[in-house]
Amino acid sequence: MSFDVSLIFTALPKVLMGIGLTFQLLILSGVLGLMLAVVLMLMRVSGKWYLSWPAQVYIYVFRGTPILVQIFIIYYGFPQLEFIREGILWPIFRDPFGCAIVALTLNTAAYVSEILRGGVLGVDRGILEAGEALGLNRRQRFTYLTTPIAARLALPAYGNDVISLLKSTALASTITLADMTGIARTIVAQTYAPYEIFISLAIIYMIITFFIQKLMARIELWLGRYTVRTG
Amino acid sequence: MVILSGWWDDFFWGSVVVAQVFLASLVLMIIFGLMGAAAKLSGSRIAQKIANGYTIVFRGTPEILVILLLYFGSAITLTSIAKLFNPDIKFLDVPPFWAGTIAIALIVGSYATETFRGAFLGVKPGSIEAAEALGINGLQVFIYVRVPEMWRLALPAFGNHMLSLIKDTALISIIGLNETLFVAKQAMGATGQPFIMYITVGAIYLGFSTVVTLTVMGLERYGNRTMKAGT
Amino acid sequence: MTGSKPLIRMEHVGKYFGKFKALNDINLEVTKGERIVVCGPSGSGKSTMIRCINRLEKHNEGRIFIGDIELTDNLKDLNAVRREVGMVFQSFNLFPHMTILKNLMLAQKLVRKTSKVEAREMAMHYLERVKIPEQAAKYPIQLSGGQQQRVAIARALCMKPEVMLFDEPTSALDPEMISEVLEVMTSLASEGMTMVCVTHEMGFARSVADRVIFMDGGEIVEEAAPDTFFSAPKNARTQLFLSQILSH
Repeated sequence: MSFDVSLIFTALPKVLMGIGLTFQLLILSGVLGLMLAVVLMLMRVSGKWYLSWPAQVYIYVFRGTPILVQIFIIYYGFPQLEFIREGILWPIFRDPFGCAIVALTLNTAAYVSEILRGGVLGVDRGILEAGEALGLNRRQRFTYLTTPIAARLALPAYGNDVISLLKSTALASTITLADMTGIARTIVAQTYAPYEIFISLAIIYMIITFFIQKLMARIELWLGRYTVRTG
Repeated sequence: MVILSGWWDDFFWGSVVVAQVFLASLVLMIIFGLMGAAAKLSGSRIAQKIANGYTIVFRGTPEILVILLLYFGSAITLTSIAKLFNPDIKFLDVPPFWAGTIAIALIVGSYATETFRGAFLGVKPGSIEAAEALGINGLQVFIYVRVPEMWRLALPAFGNHMLSLIKDTALISIIGLNETLFVAKQAMGATGQPFIMYITVGAIYLGFSTVVTLTVMGLERYGNRTMKAGT
Repeated sequence: MTGSKPLIRMEHVGKYFGKFKALNDINLEVTKGERIVVCGPSGSGKSTMIRCINRLEKHNEGRIFIGDIELTDNLKDLNAVRREVGMVFQSFNLFPHMTILKNLMLAQKLVRKTSKVEAREMAMHYLERVKIPEQAAKYPIQLSGGQQQRVAIARALCMKPEVMLFDEPTSALDPEMISEVLEVMTSLASEGMTMVCVTHEMGFARSVADRVIFMDGGEIVEEAAPDTFFSAPKNARTQLFLSQILSH
């Protein structure tokens, strides 16, 4: 058994062909998940039990079960149900890409909503009281005061979740999608060279992670410019 | 639940496997985490670099990839070595249980490294100094002063690590470990009822998550029993 | 226009925090142009009382009137009240993510629906009034405590309130910055602004107040003009407090 470097060079371009799908999964689920997370968070902090409880149950279920199980329920399980097969959303659930997006979106939304809620709870009460005393109503306080400050507070944890989402996209390979991991697994099955292929793949993911972290750091700096004393 | 009849005991034994993986990986995760934290806290530049490398690698690589790499990589290596002694051996692997357990322990351990390091640094230096000034020797200070406080600080994040271990167990089904998700896949094939089967798996994992979460909440309350202000 | 209808009227006001009674049978009238100073030991309820005036705290017993409007759960009334009652906090509470100028303009645009141009003019006018117009483009974190508090006063003034509430405005300031804030408050008073001020600054009380109120244990214990209050306090508790606070 030897480490076949040439194999890496022939395999790498093929693996990288999957990067488009990886990014599609990451960005689409990330954006949709963030939107859903905002809705969930608003439900959670609304103070109304008929909004807060359903949100809490949703978050509890999606954070308490493995994402792989969620993917399988949607990909294998949903087609079994008649109302799904006959519903208007069937084109989405029939397609592995659609299933992956739905699963990743629902999953990340649960985690991100808690991160956003943490940001909202972290806003200094005194600032909101000053807004109240000036006559700002609840919606105005939430829009102009809470949201900008909470966003900055939530950013580090959100960045971590984006990286988690990136890693979860690799699970799309379990439902026949040809993302980077999917292609890599196919090559390994043919060449019996797990070390070369999988280590290269790991390095690719680590490089992407590095860039995401750098991007997050930039955004943090920009959002937090009012926390710096000089300039 | 007529549909599940016949599969009840399979799911039961699958759950037992989940519990076994949890216990084994928990021990390893603590060991890896403590080793990593110790390395980062030591003065040694080399140890710190290695520990940082460990963190970067396992935080930036998808969990499924680590599992695949560990399992297939070790299998190829073992098979090659075994072939030297007995050319008839076609395939020798590390049991999926151990490949998977070690993999997820390494992954979550990289996060635990930060948790333990932060908890260690979070112990008030004043407490340590006071204990030393009282004449208590180094080892006793460590055991009676540092560790209990570290434990209390680390508990919330540690609880999350435990939840990660439980959920990552489902990924090990991909390499053939017969925990509950693996059972469900077979049941789906046999009964044609994927939805019920996978929902069952979700419920089982949710059950495990709930037990862990309640345990951690209880431990937190116990650890903080002397911390209530104004009592 | 002296002795006309009171701007603030509190009748038998009480407030509970859980089982703890923070305010008990508070009766207070403030007429236009009056300057009231409220003092007392910590936990006496002075902050709670003025926070009830703009309903940052809700009273459980009695009634509170601001002008003609009674403070209830009615939102429209509440917004009308908050437009006319300005508040300055102990910890300034400037909006950290906005420049000083934006801090002053936000409520004008959102609550009084002033145009951007007019809001800006008003903001600069009051920034000059509190003597820091050059800080307009900076963020709160770049200003000293004294400057931040002066901005906070300007921010409240931009809403052109009928009455200003001050909740221990100098308690969080380093000593050398207290006078710059008290100066602003004194000049405000001399222009006829109605004020209710919770403070430990007895010098300010002596020179500016029309009435000094002493609170202890959630009740108003003594109320008098500053001369009388400081030289001949009637109540034993007042005497004790004054001896503690004035001796060091």
